[in-house]
Order: sequence, then C-alpha cells, then structure tokens
Amino acid sequence: MAGRVLDLSLHLLDRQVLDTDGGMVCNIDDVELTGPDDGGPPYVTAILCGPGALGPRIGGLLGRWIVATHRLLGRRHEDAPDRIPFQLVTDIGSAVTIAQSRSELGILAAEDTVRDYVIDRIPGAHRASE
Amino acid sequence: MRASELLGAAVVDAAGTGIGKVLDVRLVQDGPLLGTMAALRVDGLVIGRRTLTSRLGFDRADVESPALLRVGARRLMRANRYLPWDQVDLLPDGRVRATSTDLAPVPMLPGH
Repeated sequence: MAGRVLDLSLHLLDRQVLDTDGGMVCNIDDVELTGPDDGGPPYVTAILCGPGALGPRIGGLLGRWIVATHRLLGRRHEDAPDRIPFQLVTDIGSAVTIAQSRSELGILAAEDTVRDYVIDRIPGAHRASE
Repeated sequence: MRASELLGAAVVDAAGTGIGKVLDVRLVQDGPLLGTMAALRVDGLVIGRRTLTSRLGFDRADVESPALLRVGARRLMRANRYLPWDQVDLLPDGRVRATSTDLAPVPMLPGH
C-alpha cells in the first residue's frame, strides 16, 4: 500500500464537508464507488449527501419516508442523492474540504425550501446571530 | 455502486456458509488523479460480526482511548478478518462471497 490508507466508516462517513472558506456544506451520508473499465478495483468518485443518500442507508420505513420528503420538499422527480464529485475535494482530515461553496453546487434543495418557507417565517428567525 | 450497498452486506465463503458481514471498506489513496488528489481505491473489506464495537475503530487504528476499553474492544474484534478486493465476488442478491478460505487478520491502519 503506497498511498494514504483510510477506512470508509471510520474516516469518511458522517464527516462534515466544508468549503474553502470553512463554511458548512453538508455531511457525508454515502459515497459513490465506480469500477474502472478494465475491471480493476472501484474507487470513490463522489460524495453523496442529503436525505436522498441518508434514507437508503437507514433503510426500512423511516428511510423511505426520508427519501419521499426529500423528493417532495426538494421539488425533484427522482430519488437521486445530491452528489459532489471527488474532483472537488482538496483535503481529507477531520472534515473534508472542497473547492466550491454550497450555493455553487446547488445541492440540498429540500433544506433551502424548509429554510425559506418555515424557518424564515418564525418570529425572530432573522435575529439568530445577534 | 453506493458504499452503503457494501457496508453491512452478508459475507459467505465459497461453500455459501456465512462468515460475517462487511464492517468497513478499506481505501488506499493511490487511484487515478481526480482534480488535485489521487482517488481513493477500494483495497479490501473488513469482515466481522460486531458492528457497534467496530465503529469505535479500536481494533484497526491506534486511537487514544482508556486502556481497558481498548483491550476489551480488541479482544472482542480479534476474530475480524480482512478480505482483499481481488478475492471479493459480489453476488446478485447483495451478498459478498470470499473466494479465499484463508483470510488474514485486519491490518492496523498506518499512521493513525
């Protein structure tokens, strides 16, 4: 083994993803593994996040409910999770750093919907930082 | 393929006898260059029966922890085995078949 060695559950899953300014992007709920055409071992090609990735990992009725909520609130027509290509990863430590911000990625639409239509309408919501 | 399809999957030997489940996926950062980093290649699977204890990582990494807890966890996890990826056969029903019968203990993570 010449390169750095990591265990997926220990060192990647559920870790935070930060942008280059230190802003919180999401948590790593799952990763996409892709096998090369030559039949060699697969490698990580994307970070999967959001309810569309977490739901299937939890499984069962709760998992299906999470995915359905993701589809409804995110106004999506498919169950595919939000995806961050591994090409954007710049550092893997206690958190994973990527080279784009959350708004540039356009991910986690369901969270944005809840923020815009529920959280922002709670009296005092805009004074959170005071 | 999602990693969650591998994690927790039942593992059987060549005869179809259950030998545990996939507790973790070992990755080595020596794959093709993706952006600014080498890709994380799947090197093998950590196989065992105790998922919760395995999540602590005491059996695979030099984690700072109370000595008694570390010794206890390593004792519980001593039957875990490492299945190199070239000995993995993914079955259509989601199970993993180990093509080798002689599996080595899980190597400790270097530098952790």
